[in-house]
Amino acid sequence: MIDIVGILMANIIYVIAITLGGALISWSVHFVPVGGAPAAMAQATGIGTGTVQLAAGAGLTGLVTAGAMMQVTDNMGLILASGAVGAMIMMSVTMIVGAWVYTYGVGCPPASAKVKYDPITKDRQDLYVSQGTEGHGLPTVSFVSGVIGGALGGIGGALIYYSLMSIENGLPLVDLVGMASVFAVGIFFVNAVIPSYNIGGTIEGFHDPKFKRFPKAVLASLIATFFCSIIAVLSIGGL
Amino acid sequence: MSAGGSGAAAEAVPQNKIIAFGVAGGLIGIYAAYFLVDMVGQYMSFIGALGAICGMIWGAAAVRRVASYGLGTGVPSIGMLALGMGVIATTFGLAVGGIAGPIIALISAAIIGLLIGSLANKVLNMGIPIMEISMTEIATAGTITIIGLTIAMTGTFDFPIVLKQVISTGYIAVIFIAGGLAILHPFNANLGPDEKQDRTLIVALEKGALAMVVAGIVATINEGASGSLTILIGLALWYIGFSGYYERVKRDAYVVLGTGQLPTKEELE
Repeated sequence: MIDIVGILMANIIYVIAITLGGALISWSVHFVPVGGAPAAMAQATGIGTGTVQLAAGAGLTGLVTAGAMMQVTDNMGLILASGAVGAMIMMSVTMIVGAWVYTYGVGCPPASAKVKYDPITKDRQDLYVSQGTEGHGLPTVSFVSGVIGGALGGIGGALIYYSLMSIENGLPLVDLVGMASVFAVGIFFVNAVIPSYNIGGTIEGFHDPKFKRFPKAVLASLIATFFCSIIAVLSIGGL
Repeated sequence: MSAGGSGAAAEAVPQNKIIAFGVAGGLIGIYAAYFLVDMVGQYMSFIGALGAICGMIWGAAAVRRVASYGLGTGVPSIGMLALGMGVIATTFGLAVGGIAGPIIALISAAIIGLLIGSLANKVLNMGIPIMEISMTEIATAGTITIIGLTIAMTGTFDFPIVLKQVISTGYIAVIFIAGGLAILHPFNANLGPDEKQDRTLIVALEKGALAMVVAGIVATINEGASGSLTILIGLALWYIGFSGYYERVKRDAYVVLGTGQLPTKEELE
């Protein structure tokens, strides 16, 4: 039988880091402009897919870039930055191509229905919102918000992956990478779904009134991730 | 009557029977495959996939029940959540449990599911009365799915072998998506005012059979398991599932008409 208390006490710093990473991911989802199915029909502002798919896309890109950086350095700051940049690039590319499709393909101007003036560019929004829709496309404020969300999600994913890889264990590297990836992906999905229930599936970005609900999702994610991180540390540390 | 947001779903088969079917079928499949592969031969590894299909049908039934209340977000999210919780619990259970690994995995999945279900209702105020029990069911069903497909691929749930042949090689991602699809897709494809339990669940059988075929293909390169029988039985089950689904679609539709071929360019002019 494994020494539960000993392993936990030896790796308590990583338990805390994983829990923080989960909370960061949960917070990051509130920044990402997710429109869901209505946005896919250009009837709501945001990217036309679900929270989980977007958060997973951005977070997993962050994991891959962080993993690539881990091969050349042990510097935690560089690894987190690499994860953040990877996820930001992924989010930006998704949003800019989405914006082209909405503007040149569907033929609707980017407009937010939640605010009268774009908080960043001060452009009038409500005149451009088509009747019967809740906005469409990706206005500047949603784009900026999405990039911030990508950065936070990437840092969270990289922090989880880095902590899992740093736990002391007797595994060969190739197996450790597999274990750490599986746990990171599992924790990532749990923390992408919890905020998506909190915002009811759609949000425009940090200017959306729903954004104020984030403390509840962060609290829920802290509790859930803490439990998951104990399980993850015990299984990797026990081998 | 369950139109994604209208309240409790009508059930021809009560959920308690499906829970019993999922847990018992899943565990019997997992342990029977584990012991029979040793005693009879590698080709018995297909029983693990049958256990996984029991778990998938249970998971799809639980998703159907909870998603009928309207989650506010797409049904796929809950399937990904199921496999996310399941993969954490499975890796933990198999890593520390030895022969009791699957049971430890199921118990830890149930705890994670109950925790997230309570958080959804108490902290996020989702207000779905069956959230706690459904999350517990979905996490456990996801775990059975993952362990069952793992055994179909490797013929065992001994952790060193699973780690080498499923996790490090990345086939865990195939299990993740194929198993998640079998749990989330049935209700997602059938939801609406005329949704019926048996029509939804037979899609779970059909998707499970596809996952079984994929597991069989992976098993052909692993020495501990044999793939040909898994692939053959998977294809047979897929045929049963698909034709059964088509029967039920015809039964529930007002009328099924053939449209004929699309008109050619000359005919349109």
